[in-house]
Amino acid sequence: MEDITLTINGKNISCPSGTSILEAAKQKGIKIPTLCYHPDLEPFGACRLCLVEDEKTGRLMASCVTPVAPNMTILTDSPTIKTHRTNIIRLMLANHPESCIVCSQGNRCELRQIAADLGVGETDLYPMPHYTGLEAANPFIVRDLSKCILCGKCIRADHELVVAGAIDYNLRGFKSRPATLYDMPLERSVCTFCGTCLSMCPTGALSLKNEQYVGSPQNESKTICGFCGVGCSIVMGSVDGRVVEVNPSHEQETVNGSTLCVRGHFAHDFLNTKDRLTQPMMSHNGELTPVSWDEALDIAAKQLVDIKKKYGPQSVAFIGSSKCTNEENYLFQKIARVLFETNNVDNGGYMSGRAVLNRVEKRMDGGYRINPLSNIDKAEAIVLLGADPGHSVPVMSYYVKRASRKGTPLIVVDPKKTEMVPFSSVWLNLIPQSDSQLINGLAAMLWKKNSFDAAFIDRFTEGFDVYCEGLKGLNIETVCRDTGLTMGAMEKTADLLAGKKIAFVCGNGILKQRYGIHSMNALLNLLLMTGSPGSERGGLYIPARENNQVGAWDMGAVPDALPGRRDLGIESERKDWERAWQAKISPDRGLDVIRMIEEAEKGSLKALYIMGENPLRSLPRPERVRKSLERLDFLVVQDILLSETCKIANVVLPGAAFCEKAGSFTNMEGKIQPFEPVVAPLGEAKADWEILDLLAGKMGSTQHYGSLEKVKTEIARFIPMYRDLDGHEGPGWVGNKGDRRLFNPDGEGTLIPFTPVVSIEHKDINDEYPFTAILGSQRFHLGSGTRTGQSDRIRDYGVKGEIELSLEDGARLNVQDGDSVRVESEHGFIEREIKLEKGLSEGFIFIPVAFNANDAMNLIGLTRLGGPDSPGWQGCQVKIMKL
Amino acid sequence: MKPKEIDREQLKAIIDRHRGKTWALIPLLQEIQETIGYIPPESIETVAEALNLFPSQVQGVITFYAGFSLEPKGKYVVRVCRGTACHVKGGRSILRLMRKELGLDEGETDPEYRFTLETVACLGACFLAPTMMVNRNYYGKLNPNKVTSVLAQYRKKKGES
Ligand code: SF4
Ligand code: SF4
Ligand code: SF4
Ligand code: FES
Ligand code: FES
Repeated sequence: MEDITLTINGKNISCPSGTSILEAAKQKGIKIPTLCYHPDLEPFGACRLCLVEDEKTGRLMASCVTPVAPNMTILTDSPTIKTHRTNIIRLMLANHPESCIVCSQGNRCELRQIAADLGVGETDLYPMPHYTGLEAANPFIVRDLSKCILCGKCIRADHELVVAGAIDYNLRGFKSRPATLYDMPLERSVCTFCGTCLSMCPTGALSLKNEQYVGSPQNESKTICGFCGVGCSIVMGSVDGRVVEVNPSHEQETVNGSTLCVRGHFAHDFLNTKDRLTQPMMSHNGELTPVSWDEALDIAAKQLVDIKKKYGPQSVAFIGSSKCTNEENYLFQKIARVLFETNNVDNGGYMSGRAVLNRVEKRMDGGYRINPLSNIDKAEAIVLLGADPGHSVPVMSYYVKRASRKGTPLIVVDPKKTEMVPFSSVWLNLIPQSDSQLINGLAAMLWKKNSFDAAFIDRFTEGFDVYCEGLKGLNIETVCRDTGLTMGAMEKTADLLAGKKIAFVCGNGILKQRYGIHSMNALLNLLLMTGSPGSERGGLYIPARENNQVGAWDMGAVPDALPGRRDLGIESERKDWERAWQAKISPDRGLDVIRMIEEAEKGSLKALYIMGENPLRSLPRPERVRKSLERLDFLVVQDILLSETCKIANVVLPGAAFCEKAGSFTNMEGKIQPFEPVVAPLGEAKADWEILDLLAGKMGSTQHYGSLEKVKTEIARFIPMYRDLDGHEGPGWVGNKGDRRLFNPDGEGTLIPFTPVVSIEHKDINDEYPFTAILGSQRFHLGSGTRTGQSDRIRDYGVKGEIELSLEDGARLNVQDGDSVRVESEHGFIEREIKLEKGLSEGFIFIPVAFNANDAMNLIGLTRLGGPDSPGWQGCQVKIMKL
Repeated sequence: MKPKEIDREQLKAIIDRHRGKTWALIPLLQEIQETIGYIPPESIETVAEALNLFPSQVQGVITFYAGFSLEPKGKYVVRVCRGTACHVKGGRSILRLMRKELGLDEGETDPEYRFTLETVACLGACFLAPTMMVNRNYYGKLNPNKVTSVLAQYRKKKGES
């Protein structure tokens, strides 16, 4: 396309055709005031403030919606323009309540700023403010639409960015306002409280509800959201060392752009809860009492070292954190492996289905496991398998919904009618646990259509022929019977997928179910067959529940792999790290989280060091976990909150929350994101890496890091995937830097095997427990809710985690919305209110986790996820009684 | 007032005929408005789902156009002009008479859903002032006699049907 040349305020500018005058001016550093323009939104041209004049023709135009044309001579600040602009602002102010002084938007109000710049004070117009009620019942957003200037940013953000559809214009003319359906308050609409509109509103019409602080923050600085694995870039505003608000960082090239979710935007108020740990403590006669750092560290170091001396390296174990930084997890596992000579180290990522993910790791030799979310936009088709990203990783759901609105076929595989279903081309509401049958069935149908990527298969895989034999033997009618799906739905899906590169989003529905390994194998086969990996138009996406789930594994906080995802079982890999650390590494695979609990129960595990995890809340059968941990001789818990687990610890070490320290997280895309502290740790608390560094010294380590930089340098030196961690050009992406990435467009590698087709006979019907319960998360809480449960806002919102029941079962049990029921499995029971839901099939109930101290964990068995005898953690058979 | 009975089957048929055609929102709404006499609020979500739009968007369009109504209206919608020209020519007394005749205030509908009384800013027929409309028919140069006879005509029609 030809470039267009024009002048703006006398400066010559040339830019591609299609650029708006506003953008062209911006590139040259010429500022034009705007109210309705936002770079992430479609131009709208509503406020007319960005008027400019063409000197030659005298024509006035809104620069945000007018494309550049050859030989324009634009003036952005001529006297005519100024008069018009001033008039526009005067009209807006005349229509605006005179409450600037008390408006929480304060100095940040763009309307007020522009008025001040133009020297508009009194409007001299008859004021005709449009009073509407103040809407402030929900704990997140206050709406005072009398201050609305109808710029439409909130509506466009809601439609174009987060694709929620909660609001749109209502009525005409003077009465026009952004409104929800039936003009209800936000909490009675489909609003998810992502707050994206809130961060964009140029006036005080939408403002943050903050009980503790009103006004603009003193400081603002950038960091990364510490909740889920999307790893949104945020700006935190603070006052007197306390975080008071969060907004998207609005930078280019971030994963979230201008969006956030309700957790990232609002749940940070947990940082100021009274349950934060501010000093080290030790247990005396069952009471935790404050002690000095020296004392706490001395005791912790001495006890752990003594226990190891007395009972051997296998008697001590370490649980690292999928919420702590890369640097911290690296130090943590190094303490375990080097100082304690044990591989008994794991992290909370176990609970997110690591056993199944290990399949991907092993089969694909570490390749293909991560993809940039922006590729979702390029996908030719998207399949959501047991994934409800709107709740687990909300920003990812925006990508999926945007793609679907653009016309990308979306297949939702889920027994529950999730929020993604209305955006889908097909909803496959299969019988839980039958995913592998479905995937094999679809593969067989594609194969019959001759729809596979022969070139890819030939070049990068092996065993396709054996796989095809398996597909040939599949009877699609049997698949329909096993999955409960109709032939029509299967055919429609196969038609939509044929010949395409596919983005598969694989969630907890697969990762934590009984046949997870089989389903994952089936999925990888289909992935390979369609040639989807290695193409930007398809690939495998694993929503990471926790912010540093990927990084904690990369750093080796797992029992069977060394940092850099090196296989512990391979001698040469061990030798590399032995050289790096100048130490001997045990070749024995360590205990995973569940085995640790079992060994403690038996009395053979004597000491446990937990950093940033709360197994008493996040593991199944909390009572059993408690009893087991109480048998330990010594328990150290390092955390930021006085969690359930802290309460039974011998020593409690106060760590720092993500925004109180520096470090790096690796998000679910494999993007390594470094960050600096926003505020200082509370009280005497310290950054976790610092605690580990001090403790290692007391445990006899001769190596003292003393600074985070030194840790980063060591990681960068020894882990090729992270080789730029200490660099200055930004550390970049794990995937692109890894030396073990199998596939590169011209690269070679070991061939990836297809696995044989395995058919599963699944029988779950048990007369005593006739209902199938599906456990899942809700966007208001993260993980087990340890942190989000401490957010006043989230608590005030009053979501109770009602158990969802189908209308038919509701009628049969004679229960209505709000009635309480007792749900009982063979392991335990819970009591909660219920809610009848149209989107559930008979015989199924949905139980949101993380509520009521995560009591849903009482229902499932404490088994090793992915193990041959494990029924999975995703659901269980239950009976229901009305209370 | 008892809610107006609506023919759900008919409504469903109209919506189904436009399913998947996002561009057809306005014709679809027009058809509902004309057939049912208004757009039942509870149909917003069904319409949105059929056209792959957000319910809030559909509501936005309905409330934007004066031709759409979310409330049931009478079979005959009487719109009396309140514009300047009509005002000068005695439009006020026409409105007063209409209120008395129909026993309705502006914006009201009788319980049998026969008549709805509305006012408008200008019907665009000022040369005929004072004016009013009943459904799509204009009536100009009104006087009390003419008003009663026009009304009588519609009342009779009602009787026939
Ligand atoms: S509420 Fe705010 S963002 Fe939305 S239209 Fe009004 S001024 Fe603009
Ligand atoms: S908070 Fe999010 S979902 Fe709610 S109206 Fe604003 S943009 Fe839409
Ligand atoms: S919780 Fe996840 S999606 Fe929400 S703001 Fe934080 S990183 Fe983003
Ligand atoms: S910024 Fe251009 S019209 Fe509002
Ligand atoms: S004023 Fe009544 S028609 Fe114009």
